[in-house]
Amino acid sequence: MRHVFATMGTVVSLDLAEPPVGLLPRIEGIFAEADARFSLHRPDSELSRINAGDVSLLDASPELAEAYALAAEWRSRTDGCFTPSRPDGLLDLNGVVKAIAMRDAGAVLESSGFEDWTLVVGGDVFASGAGQGRAPWSTGIVDPADRTALLCAIELRDPRRAIATSGSAERGDHIWSSTGPSEFLQVTVVADDILTADVLATAIVAGGDRMLRAACEGWSVDVLAVEHAGGLSVTPGFRSALAAAS
Amino acid sequence: MRKRAIAASVLASMGILTVGWQVGMATTVTPTSSSGDTASGTAGSSGTSGSSMTSDTGSSSSTASTSALKDGTYTGTSEQTRFGDVQVQVTISGGKITDVAAVHLTDEGGRSVQISNYAAPILRKEVLASQSAKVSNVGGATYTTDGYLQSVQSALDQASS
Repeated sequence: MRHVFATMGTVVSLDLAEPPVGLLPRIEGIFAEADARFSLHRPDSELSRINAGDVSLLDASPELAEAYALAAEWRSRTDGCFTPSRPDGLLDLNGVVKAIAMRDAGAVLESSGFEDWTLVVGGDVFASGAGQGRAPWSTGIVDPADRTALLCAIELRDPRRAIATSGSAERGDHIWSSTGPSEFLQVTVVADDILTADVLATAIVAGGDRMLRAACEGWSVDVLAVEHAGGLSVTPGFRSALAAAS
Repeated sequence: MRKRAIAASVLASMGILTVGWQVGMATTVTPTSSSGDTASGTAGSSGTSGSSMTSDTGSSSSTASTSALKDGTYTGTSEQTRFGDVQVQVTISGGKITDVAAVHLTDEGGRSVQISNYAAPILRKEVLASQSAKVSNVGGATYTTDGYLQSVQSALDQASS
């Protein structure tokens, strides 16, 4: 049973094995609240008012303070490859906000007893249920050279629950590289949690080879990196997750 | 077939690491252990340097399977790569490359390191083989609400809602 709704400038696809019984308003509410608070397209959002100087960051809501703290922490962990500061000086927390909303939606599903679901938000995937006697999640990865085609498909089981993909030519990917053009056209990171996957995918596109190596050494992740010329690199875990041809 | 795809892909991996290896060129390799065979003499002349993984998706496979490679384990010359100094060890059995391993890696400080999780080049062909698998969702770089309408995810959503 699949439920699709638009929010945060993109589309959410929630696939549930069981009927949602009143759960959908709560899930949609998580994304709507995040959009109202963090959207830079809304002049009345809390983040827009902070950027405008109407509100001090010190007086931010707990939700915004958490997002800011997470973004700052990831900036430090990735040596600045991931950053919430735009070149124009504005604060943009969308690099973590989508992942936080997906994490929170997943927590609501779990606390409500739902064990078998996938949540796709703007190309990022967070899932639950595989590896517990069920079939693995089979997820395609879009070919950056042809957005209507798949580059590959991977099968994942617990604890690998999250897949995030970042591209150097995409709107809204929060990549403000200071090191020149990225080597990578598209980077997919598979991790146990959606925040790690999302942030590292962005950081590797922004930081290139050095960040790719740092991510593979420093985190438990599987990575697929697509170079501009079309060359592909994968970690051993990603290679073994490639789906068998059918 | 799967095994050949792996052999082909690791062959391409070697190429991208530019260890100076050419299949069949004995001058660039030293046998470290083998079943009586040595790397001297020519082991075939149909090798490809494979210096770019994107330059080729088919002939590496055929090279791996058709060259008259002598069985044994060969170690390439040490080369500087983005991973530090790397030597590649190649095992050939039955005339085919059956295993490739990075045997010497050092970091910037000169320490030998074991990199168990690093991203190595892979042949597009091996990746593409997974395309035909049935998928329930599609990951990709962030799409807008408009972009979603043209996306594969949109098609999947329509098919299952």
